[in-house]
Amino acid sequence: MKLNPELIDEIKKYGAFDISACFNCGNCTAVCPLSKEDASFPRKLIRAGHVGMEEKIGSALEPWHCYYCGECSATCPREAQPGEYMMALRRYLIARYDITGLSKLFYKAGWLQTWLTAGLFAAVLWLYRSYTGDFGALAAKIEMAFPVYVTIALGGYILNMYRHAIVKPLGGIKASLKPAHIVETFVHGFTQKNFIGCEETDWTRWIAHLLVMSGYTLTLVISNLHLLEPLNKRYPVIGPVSLLVWYAGFAILVGGGLMTLRRVFKSAESSKFSHPSDWLFVIMMFLIGVSTLATLGLNVLRGPADPLLAQVYRVNIAIETVWILLVVPFTKWIHIFFRPLAVYFQHVRKEVEAGTAFSL
Amino acid sequence: MSNVEKIEVDALVVGSGIAGLQSALDLADQGYSVAIVEKNPSIGGKMISLSKVFPTLDCASCITTPRMASVSHHPRITTLTYSTVDAIKRENGVFTAAVTRKPRYIDEKECISCKRCEDVCPVYLPDEYEQGMGAKKTISIPFTNAIPQYPVMHPEHCIRCGACARACPKDCIEFLQEPAPVEIKAKAVILATGYETTPMTAKKQYGLGELPNVISPMAAERLLAPHGPYGRVLRPSDGMVPGSIAYVQCAGSRDKSIGVPYCSRVCCMYAIKQAILLSGSLPIADITIYYMDIRAFGKGYEQFYNNARAMGINFVKAKVARISEDEKHNPILRIERQEGTSAPEEVKHELVVLSQGLVPACDVSGYGLGSENNDFGFVKLSDETVSSAVTAGAGVFAAGTVKGPRDIPDSVVDAGSAAMEAVSYIRKL
Repeated sequence: MKLNPELIDEIKKYGAFDISACFNCGNCTAVCPLSKEDASFPRKLIRAGHVGMEEKIGSALEPWHCYYCGECSATCPREAQPGEYMMALRRYLIARYDITGLSKLFYKAGWLQTWLTAGLFAAVLWLYRSYTGDFGALAAKIEMAFPVYVTIALGGYILNMYRHAIVKPLGGIKASLKPAHIVETFVHGFTQKNFIGCEETDWTRWIAHLLVMSGYTLTLVISNLHLLEPLNKRYPVIGPVSLLVWYAGFAILVGGGLMTLRRVFKSAESSKFSHPSDWLFVIMMFLIGVSTLATLGLNVLRGPADPLLAQVYRVNIAIETVWILLVVPFTKWIHIFFRPLAVYFQHVRKEVEAGTAFSL
Repeated sequence: MSNVEKIEVDALVVGSGIAGLQSALDLADQGYSVAIVEKNPSIGGKMISLSKVFPTLDCASCITTPRMASVSHHPRITTLTYSTVDAIKRENGVFTAAVTRKPRYIDEKECISCKRCEDVCPVYLPDEYEQGMGAKKTISIPFTNAIPQYPVMHPEHCIRCGACARACPKDCIEFLQEPAPVEIKAKAVILATGYETTPMTAKKQYGLGELPNVISPMAAERLLAPHGPYGRVLRPSDGMVPGSIAYVQCAGSRDKSIGVPYCSRVCCMYAIKQAILLSGSLPIADITIYYMDIRAFGKGYEQFYNNARAMGINFVKAKVARISEDEKHNPILRIERQEGTSAPEEVKHELVVLSQGLVPACDVSGYGLGSENNDFGFVKLSDETVSSAVTAGAGVFAAGTVKGPRDIPDSVVDAGSAAMEAVSYIRKL
């Protein structure tokens, strides 16, 4: 096995600045309610990081099993913040799975992504505002392009994760075809149900996530199906599309607001350390909620021909464009896909061990 | 008050544990007069309640009681028990200590220690000397080998039945006794206020002292002592003879999350000692010590540790993260087994001892003597490389665990050093 003595310094660039205080007692693994016999963490990964086992870290699935309840950090005898280390590993792995190298750059350069986002937003908004044609029709096309772009980005990530976690360490293409495993993967994807396994389930955090996720998924549905056409139709206060948008907007606003407050007041272990990318994430989320609500609100109050509405709608689409282009593929947003995949890959590994896996 | 009792001595020793006793004896044997102030009703400190000492397995009271007796009979030592030092002032090189004698509600000059009051008293209390495991009477002599052998009454529990007053042959029960002020003038002060163990409530994950079969190391000492609360080793919840006993090392030290980041130096050794004693009194019991690393650093300690291993005591390298219990109050420990595949695991035992650390018993910086505390509340030495007893305050010396965790041999040695430093200071005055 090749060892990389600089590995721990590399991981520290993604957060986890205190991890060198670790004296390897194993309190974190023992206190963790999600740590299991076949996936024991964080101690083993901390040790692997310290001794420089790059391949082991690169193929690790455990970071995706961790929901950062913070018990390990709260009880760590050395205040080495093992929970934050797991978070840093997730960032490190995202950067590793990302073929473009942009995630790595964004995570390491801190505020670079924020400045780029702001710059891109200004540029896109300028473009949209100088567009003289029918902006409603253009917006429809832009919104249709979002899922294509996200699917390509996501596909790249998933393939790379598969390569690092299964193909490389197990020496070939392996899979589990058991329906139960595939169903479980989807169930995890939609419910993130392992989170409930945390000792003291942090309900505010869960509700914030639920609100943001449901609101955000609805926004996706609304934009991908191009349900909202504020420049063409007038919407009633209460109607099928209006209700969807009201809910989506307020859910994002309240959820994103809760997340921001938690980060500002550092109210839980999981919100004590904020990476610039975390701020960008919650602020963008918040802006999407506000601009969507403002768009519908103006439409309801003043009708589709209102000049202010035309401007606000352009802002709304510009924010969504930047979000899709820069934030979604290169930050923690994609962790919702890695978590269920990690559950599935764990099954594949077990099947390989038992010799029952499907292989090519 | 007009008739304040006044005592004038060369040195004042605060605390009468093994360090306080030793420094008082070392001073008095050289011809200096000493006053000892002890807050408890008996001298002897923590050591008198221990079962045996490591690594020799000598009986702890067999070592402490001769010193207690020497101190109490020494012509140049005045002992004030059940008394607190409220303030100390230093003026023109002389310390004046304001001390309060707490009322025992008996006439100490008349009492003949016949224990008749204790025999007739109808009210039982949990005995704190037995760590709450046994019972004592509301008026009682604190423990068998206490010095002085005076009973203490606890008025907050007394039902005023008067049985003790009627039974006393010397008529010395005084229900109306009041705290009495004492003024002690001394040329030097030796601080020997010792330690307390980390509270059972320090760590939420260890049950906050609410699990009946998770006990403190001092309670384990009492269970093992020949004159302990049950006379043998039984577990508190149901009186069962435990068949499987676990020690949780570093339960109250080396843990920043509870504010005690330092190593307490004695926990590894007392756990090994208790494990050896337990395997003597319960030969078929399984004894497991969960440790982070064993620190057996003193003379003969490593051999002691190896003996324990050879005797079949299990040493498991794991930090216990949580303690819960089943419906029969059997404690369940959650650990990560680091050997082999390394996996989190729950292990059930019948009795668990938390190897708690040592924290300061008393904040002596409150006396304003010029001596400083370190970050953890222990007394800071002015220069550790030059002297092990001199503090930053002129004429103020420190002996034993008031300076930080240390074992009995170390405490005795530096009690002697504190006495020598005090003597050389007094002679230069």
